[in-house]
Amino acid sequence: MGQENNLTQKRTTSTGGLPTTTTTTTTNSRNRTLPRGRQIQKTFNNIKITILCGFVTILVLRGTIGVNLGTSQNDAVNAAVIEETNRILAEIRSDSDPSDRNQTETFMSLNETYALGPKILNWDTERTSWLDKNREYPNFVKGKPRILLLTGSPPKPCDNPIGDHYLLKSIKNKIDYCRLHGIEIVYNMAHLDMELAGYWAKLPMIRRLMLSHPEVEWIWWMDSDAFFTDMVFELPMSKYKDYNMVIHGYPDLLFEQNSWIAINTGSFLFRNCQWSLDLLDAWAPMGPKGPIREEAGKILTANLKGRPAFEADDQSALIYLLLSKKDKWMEKVFLENSFYLHGYWAGLVDRYEEMMEKYHPGLGDERWPFVTHFVGCKPCGSYGDYPVERCLSSMERAFNFADNQVLKLYGFRHRGLLSPKIKRIRNETITPLEFVDQFDIRRQHEGTVEPKN
Amino acid sequence: MLEKYLGAQRARKFQRFLNHCKVTILCLFLTIVVLRGTIGAGKFGTPEQDFVDIRNRFSSRKLSEPHRILGEIHSTTSSSSRSDSSTTSTTNYNDFDINTILVDEEEEEEQGDEFEKRSSNEPYSLGPKISNWDEQRSKWIRENPNFSNFIRPGKPRVLLVTGSSPKPCENPVGDHYLLKSIKNKIDYCRLHGIEVFYNMALFDAEMAGFWAKLPLIRKLLLAHPEVEFLWWMDSDAMFTDMAFEVPWERYKDSNLVMHGWNEMVYDEKNWIGLNTGSFLLRNCQWSLDILDAWAPMGPKGKVRDEAGKILTRELKGRPVFEADDQSAMVYLLAKEKEKWGDKVYLENGYYLHGYWGILVDRYEEMIENYHPGFGDHRWPLVTHFVGCKPCGKFGDYPVERCLKQMDRAFNFGDNQILQIYGFTHKSLVSRRVRRIRNETSNPLEVKDELGLLHPTFKAVEVSSSS
Repeated sequence: MGQENNLTQKRTTSTGGLPTTTTTTTTNSRNRTLPRGRQIQKTFNNIKITILCGFVTILVLRGTIGVNLGTSQNDAVNAAVIEETNRILAEIRSDSDPSDRNQTETFMSLNETYALGPKILNWDTERTSWLDKNREYPNFVKGKPRILLLTGSPPKPCDNPIGDHYLLKSIKNKIDYCRLHGIEIVYNMAHLDMELAGYWAKLPMIRRLMLSHPEVEWIWWMDSDAFFTDMVFELPMSKYKDYNMVIHGYPDLLFEQNSWIAINTGSFLFRNCQWSLDLLDAWAPMGPKGPIREEAGKILTANLKGRPAFEADDQSALIYLLLSKKDKWMEKVFLENSFYLHGYWAGLVDRYEEMMEKYHPGLGDERWPFVTHFVGCKPCGSYGDYPVERCLSSMERAFNFADNQVLKLYGFRHRGLLSPKIKRIRNETITPLEFVDQFDIRRQHEGTVEPKN
Repeated sequence: MLEKYLGAQRARKFQRFLNHCKVTILCLFLTIVVLRGTIGAGKFGTPEQDFVDIRNRFSSRKLSEPHRILGEIHSTTSSSSRSDSSTTSTTNYNDFDINTILVDEEEEEEQGDEFEKRSSNEPYSLGPKISNWDEQRSKWIRENPNFSNFIRPGKPRVLLVTGSSPKPCENPVGDHYLLKSIKNKIDYCRLHGIEVFYNMALFDAEMAGFWAKLPLIRKLLLAHPEVEFLWWMDSDAMFTDMAFEVPWERYKDSNLVMHGWNEMVYDEKNWIGLNTGSFLLRNCQWSLDILDAWAPMGPKGKVRDEAGKILTRELKGRPVFEADDQSAMVYLLAKEKEKWGDKVYLENGYYLHGYWGILVDRYEEMIENYHPGFGDHRWPLVTHFVGCKPCGKFGDYPVERCLKQMDRAFNFGDNQILQIYGFTHKSLVSRRVRRIRNETSNPLEVKDELGLLHPTFKAVEVSSSS
């Protein structure tokens, strides 16, 4: 380009336009002593060339790297579709609801008292007379009391997709256990009472089910992050005939240490009776969202050992209730710790291989835990209290550990506790019923047969 | 040097000419590059397209534009997060890739499992041939009176079977819809006294995909002799009539009940003449035999592809793809009508399977004009979202329509459950619920309108010992 410049200059000089022509013939030799005007023009030309080169460079770069400014028709359409789909997925996963755009959130003030519903005083008699009149809905089936398992999850998709996958595995696990033991399941995905949202949502649902289903003798609440890991073990219901609530906990932690983890409300049973309705009514007041729950949280942190500062949760509230009104309630509460009605996962999940080697299903305790409860993992949210890899791989192991016990009847097991694939452990046969007799878990509870290995 | 040959002035002219040429060529080159970069010179395309072509050639998948979207979104979010997270101790679930912990344990497969059934030379079979299943089963039922195959006279013991893959869905919201679907089935089955089996295991790697139900069904029939009817239901089908009870008496002489039309299957050989997304199969020898006759088109690979070609040729309206279980069933029934036809009942009096496209827009009209319990076009028993594939990346229909309509169908069914307890969804698209009946201090006097609280089809026999 510089050469061209010189050539044009040479041409101009040959037509003789500019006054200072005598010195231009020597421009090739890089003479520094140029007159001012010439210098300016040269600079100007250089700038022009620089701009031109810059422009060409940008165009070339755009062509090669593809810095798309959206001129292509196809790209525009593609981008629109992607954006639309993103919007749909975001809408599905958001908390907003098309029906309550105009509502603003109102919280109960500290003066108001919350009630789960109108007070019922004669539930036991009502229930007994209903059962008499409706004998086709007995509360004892084949000698065992009728149990209803209640679990649930929020109605919107989890903050991350893997959470929904583990909710699915969790409900499959519960379906398997309940099918083997004749228990019905209610999976709740509705917030019956917006004030008692979050972990408190179980209270209105439990009450509602008790009152609608008098034929149900026990209601068993189980968290969505709890997995059955002993498919053979059955609750020893005869042990609880004088009690109305069965919950996993330790008396010394509760009464001596006032620890906030003395009991666990992730897995507990409530008898369907007046006493339970009263307990629910006494339990609920700390629950309503807003200032009531915040204030209650402060009281609980002050009174319970080891409790961090956060809003009131149902477990701490129950502990506080049982401690403060011990004489009224504790008589009918059974603190179960002879088996893992709730089993804290961290001490259990690494030992599954050892358990498979040494023990057998049906024990329910530390040798073969009944329930493995993944407290703190919170796979449905964005952040848990533990590293993600540890939580998810442990949940997968617990699921497969339980699934092996179900698949045994069909002659299969998982290839490994982390593997989704299965392998055969028994040949196919033309007389499958002998294996059914041997391996079906339901048949192992006929009479008092010891569960086989 | 040139001056020697041409003389000084000539040399200068020549040199000038050379300079001009150089400049011209340079400019021409730049012009071509720029033009190619912006417009794309015909079939050479832009460099960006070159890059995409090369990438596509090395990866074997062919993606069609509109359906690629969900895959892109998922992969961009996961790859962008993967790049900037420390994997060992993150507590953020969004940064995590599940595939790092699922171990397929390839080493074990290579060694060969001691119980693997067959070599690849033998023709495929679901299992060793059983010829006396009816006798074996009736003997077992006699010996085990606690596990009778009829809960009440006229009410057989039914096992509803459904399932999905043990790995997370490729679509980020797919698992959520699977969860809602299983909740919907749990609710219906609880009301109707039906047991549920949710399968997440692939029993036979050769029969993967839609054929996976065949080995599963056979295994369940043989392991559960007390089950009289096995009800297979796809994971993308939802119950929308909670009050409808299947007319079991109607099928006392049939062993296989599917939704379909006789003319479309036997006369027209139409590939959608029946639907295998929701069907009933009796637990008997005949069923084992038909499963054995159904299976041969299933094994993955050459067998399935070749069978697909036969089916496309023989059946009306079938597009070209590998053999699927539904087409194979149509073909089997049309070809061997005398052998199987008299025990197959093609039901079209109610929607044992209801194609969603013609139903979902009419829900509001149904709510206004009819009530649950019909099971037919007035209030469908099952709304089946064929083609939506919410768990996968590619469906046959637009994403928004599928997912929104699945929400509506779920709420439509869920309203019937919630009304038992005095609630309903605020609208068919809303997740929130509102009260429709006040709490009362006499809860036992309340009757729900549909009679689903203590329905007759769930009652136990009064004479049974407790």
